[in-house]
Amino acid sequence: MQVSKRSQYALEAVLYLALHMHTEHENIKAIAEKLGTSWKYLEQIFIVLKRNGIVDSIRGAQGGYRLAKKPEEITAGEIIRALEGPLAPVPCVIEGPGRKLCERYEGCVTRGLWEKIMHEINRTADLVSISDMAASYRKTEYEESGNFLI
Amino acid sequence: MKLSTKGRYGLRCMIDLTIHSDEEKVSLCNIAQRQGISENYLEQVFATLRKTGLVKSIKGAQGGYVLAKEPSKITVGTILRALEGELVIIDAQDERNDSRAQAMKDCIKAHVWDKINQNINKLVDSITLKDLADDCRKRNSADTLMYHI
Repeated sequence: MQVSKRSQYALEAVLYLALHMHTEHENIKAIAEKLGTSWKYLEQIFIVLKRNGIVDSIRGAQGGYRLAKKPEEITAGEIIRALEGPLAPVPCVIEGPGRKLCERYEGCVTRGLWEKIMHEINRTADLVSISDMAASYRKTEYEESGNFLI
Repeated sequence: MKLSTKGRYGLRCMIDLTIHSDEEKVSLCNIAQRQGISENYLEQVFATLRKTGLVKSIKGAQGGYVLAKEPSKITVGTILRALEGELVIIDAQDERNDSRAQAMKDCIKAHVWDKINQNINKLVDSITLKDLADDCRKRNSADTLMYHI
């Protein structure tokens, strides 16, 4: 009942872009170094994020990535689903491609429960935006630097 | 992001056991037949359910299983955690070398992963085995009705 590490890095990468919006775009090698992963691995994740309209790429020697939308318009759920597909605990509750029904589909007593779990995961993940997380991160950083000054 | 067959089959068998709990005990062989699952596999599932105190076994030639508690006192959460382990959406992540990367990781954990974990568990702990068995009975009686018409 788990999502992959790629979703974790995707959330970190998008949060990083949101925190560095004052710079025009961010070089992928710099981001990879910051997150402690390889840029090739991160590049795969960015390709998926770009395909899903979450980030934009800028070509060229000074190329990089930036957010394709405002951070308040990007939810955690959207990022995780981009990497994982529908967040379904069992394949019979997927809406659309990837749906797989078992021979007991008709009259199944547990399918309603799996649907509820799926909706709860998506609802919870869609409640939080990247701008919420960026604000919370900045607040922590500010408080910590405040403590440091004292 | 998938539940294993152990969790899915195990829950189905617990509902089966509840519905047939008017019988003194239910044999694995009968559950296996009704649910279309191999008896060997069910033995493993029931060994886990017994170890976690959800069912009791009755030994002997006419042996079988009974629920260890009232179905209204057994939550879906207890059953799924017994069979699947902790219901968490992502494994614990490695510590990061960089303190700001670690702070980002902590921020994502608090805002996303912890909340999803809490809400999944809250949901499955709010539904009891009795709720699911009642649904199932309702559905069966509706089916019979349709059949008679």
